[in-house]
Amino acid sequence: MTVIDRASVPYRHGAAATRPVVRLRGITKTYRIGREIEVRALAGVDLDINAGEFVAIMGPSGSGKSTLMNILGCLDVPDGGTYELAEANVGKLSDDQLAAIRNKHIGFVFQTFNLLSRLNAVENVELPLVYGGDRHDRRARALAALGQVGLGDRVKHRPSELSGGQQQRVAIARALLNDPSMILADEPTGNLDSHSSAEILAILQRLNELGKTVVMVTHEPDVAAHCRRIVRMRDGIVSRDEPVLEPRRAEDEIASGIGATR
Amino acid sequence: MKLYDSFRSALQSLVVNKLRSALTMLGVIIGVASVIAMVAVGNGASQQVQNTILSLGSNLITVSPANLSDQGLRGAGAQAQNLTNEDMRAIQAQLGPTIAAIHAEQGAGRWQVTAAGTNWNTNVNGVSEDYPIVRDWPLQSGDFFSGSDVTTNAQVAVLGSTTALSLFGDSGAVGQTIQLRQVFGGGGQGQGQQRARIVNFKVVGVLEPKGSTFGFGRDDQILVPVTTGQRVLTGRLNIVNTIVVKATSSDAMTETTSDVTNVLLERHKISDPAAADFSVTNQNDTLAALGAVTGTFTLLLGAIGGISLLVGGIGIMNIMLVSVNERTREIGIRKAVGARRQDIMFQFLIESMALTGIGGILGILVGWSITLLVGLIPQASGLVLVITTGTVVIAVGVSVAIGVVFGLYPAMRAARLHPIQALRYE
Repeated sequence: MTVIDRASVPYRHGAAATRPVVRLRGITKTYRIGREIEVRALAGVDLDINAGEFVAIMGPSGSGKSTLMNILGCLDVPDGGTYELAEANVGKLSDDQLAAIRNKHIGFVFQTFNLLSRLNAVENVELPLVYGGDRHDRRARALAALGQVGLGDRVKHRPSELSGGQQQRVAIARALLNDPSMILADEPTGNLDSHSSAEILAILQRLNELGKTVVMVTHEPDVAAHCRRIVRMRDGIVSRDEPVLEPRRAEDEIASGIGATR
Repeated sequence: MKLYDSFRSALQSLVVNKLRSALTMLGVIIGVASVIAMVAVGNGASQQVQNTILSLGSNLITVSPANLSDQGLRGAGAQAQNLTNEDMRAIQAQLGPTIAAIHAEQGAGRWQVTAAGTNWNTNVNGVSEDYPIVRDWPLQSGDFFSGSDVTTNAQVAVLGSTTALSLFGDSGAVGQTIQLRQVFGGGGQGQGQQRARIVNFKVVGVLEPKGSTFGFGRDDQILVPVTTGQRVLTGRLNIVNTIVVKATSSDAMTETTSDVTNVLLERHKISDPAAADFSVTNQNDTLAALGAVTGTFTLLLGAIGGISLLVGGIGIMNIMLVSVNERTREIGIRKAVGARRQDIMFQFLIESMALTGIGGILGILVGWSITLLVGLIPQASGLVLVITTGTVVIAVGVSVAIGVVFGLYPAMRAARLHPIQALRYE
C-alpha cells in the first residue's frame, strides 16, 4: 500500500475520470454545546467523490468524520461552503427537500443496522419506496434486492430472528432499493464478528464492482484496506487522501477462512 | 407516503401494543358511551314529559279564572268565580268550526260511591259533552253523555276504568246504578247529628285506561254532566272552573287563543286585556317551556359525558407522547430513508385517530347497551330511550376530532425530530 499525501489535491480515481457524485467545497460546521462552548467540527472540507468509487473515511474521534458523514448523507446541512450531490446543490435545502434527496440519492447502512423491529425483512427493505415511488412493483423490487444480498430465503423473518450479519444485509438491500447515487455506510462492520464483517465487505465490494459508489466511515485500518481510496480526517479538515493500490478482497478472505481481522 | 401505508402502519402499531391500545381506547369508549347514554336518557325524559302533556289532549287552550291578587293576597281558593256555562256556549257558538271542540269543567270534590254492595271513594267531575273529543279519550264501553243530558241535568255518569273495575269488577258497569253520598257535619260528635246526601246516577259509559300524569292516576274518576254536578252535587250553579278549547291544529293555536280571549273580554265587558278576570293558557307555550327545561337537562347530562370524553382525550395525548418517545429511533430511520415531516405527522395522527375512532364505535355499542340496561330498571319503565342518528354522528365525529386535537401535538413533536438526534436516541 503506497501512501500519497493528497490533502489539497482533488482526487481522480484511476484512468477514467468520471462525473463527480459528490463535490464539497469549503464545508464548515460548528456546533454549540450549552450557551458558551462552540465546537468547530468541520473547518473547511474540500472533497470530490466520483461515480464508481469505493472510499473509506477515517479519522480519530473528534476529527469531524461523523459530521462529514451526516452532511454527505443530507441528514444535516453545513454552515458554510457548497455541497453538490449528483450535480445538484443540496447545501441549503429545507428538511422536506433533504428528505426527498435522501430517498432518491442516498442509501444508508448503519453500524446498528437500524431496522424496524416490527417489520419483517422484506417490509424493511420496502421502506424507501413507501416514501417515494409506486406501490405496484414495490414488493418485487424489495425481493430482488434481498436476493442480491443472498437473503432470498429469509424474506419473512423479523430482525430479531436474523443474525447481525443477516440484519446488515437486509439494511444493504434497503439501501439499494431506490438505486441511489451513493451508498453511505457508517461503521457497517462495527457490530459484527470477523466472518460476518468479511461477508458484508464482500457484498459492498461486489456492489462497487457493479458500478455503485460506496462511501464508508470506519476507524479500522483492516476494514478500510478493502476500499480503493482512503480519506483521513483530522481537526475538521481532510488531512490525507490516498488511493489503495491493492485493496484486500473480502471474498478471498472468506474462501481462505481467514476473515477480516478486527 | 400513501394513505394505505399510513393506515397499515398505524393499525400495526396498535396491534403490537394491544393492552396499551385497549386501555387508552377505554377512556374514549367510556366517554362516548356516557355521552350516548346520558343524552339518550335526557332525550327520553323530555320525550316522556311531552307525551304526558299531550296525553291530556293535544292542541289545548285552557281558560281559567284569573288569580285574585288584590291587596297582594293570593292563596288557595282565591280565584274569581266568573266563568260560566254561558261563556263556554258563547265560545262554542261564536268560534264554531274554527275550533275542534270545547268543554267546561267543574270539580265536585270527593264522594263516597256505592254500587252492588261495594264501596269506593273517588273524585267527581262535572264536564260537558265534548270532553272525550277535547281530551282525545275514547270510551271502553257504552257512550259518553250527550248535549241534551247536559241541558236536562240528567243523572248519568261515565266512569274511569279503575273506578269501574273497583265497583263492578269484570262484570259490565254500563247500565248499572251508582250512589254518591257525602256526609256532613257531626264527625265524632255523635251519629244523630250527621246528615248524608245521597244521589243516584246511572252509568252510561266507561273510559279507556290512560295511565297517570305526573304521578296522579287519571283512571279513577267519575264524570257527570257539568249542570247536574252544579245542581245536585256542589250547588254552585252555573259556575265552571275551567273551559278547555281544542284548536283544529297546532298552527291554529295562536289565532284560536286570541279569538277565545276576545270573545270572553267582550262578554265580560273588559276593554283592557291586562285587566282580564280570566287567564288563557296555550298548551304550546307549556310544551315550549318544558322543552326548554328538559333541553337544559339533556345538555347538562351531555356535558357530564363530555367531560369523561375530554379525560379520555387527554389519555390519548399522554399515550401518544409516550409512543413518540419510544419510537424516536423508528422516526429517525424513517426520516433517513426519506420520510418527510408530513409523513411522520400523518402516521401518528392516523394512529391517534384510529384509537379514538375505534373507541368511538365501541363506545356507541356500549352506550347503546347501557340504555338497554336502563330500560330494564323498573323506575325507568316508560322512559323511551332515544338514540338518534345525530347523537351517533356527533359522538363519532367528536371522538375522531379528539384524536386529531390530542394527537396533533405528539404528532408534530414526532415530525419535528431531527433525524440525527432521532437516530442516535437510545
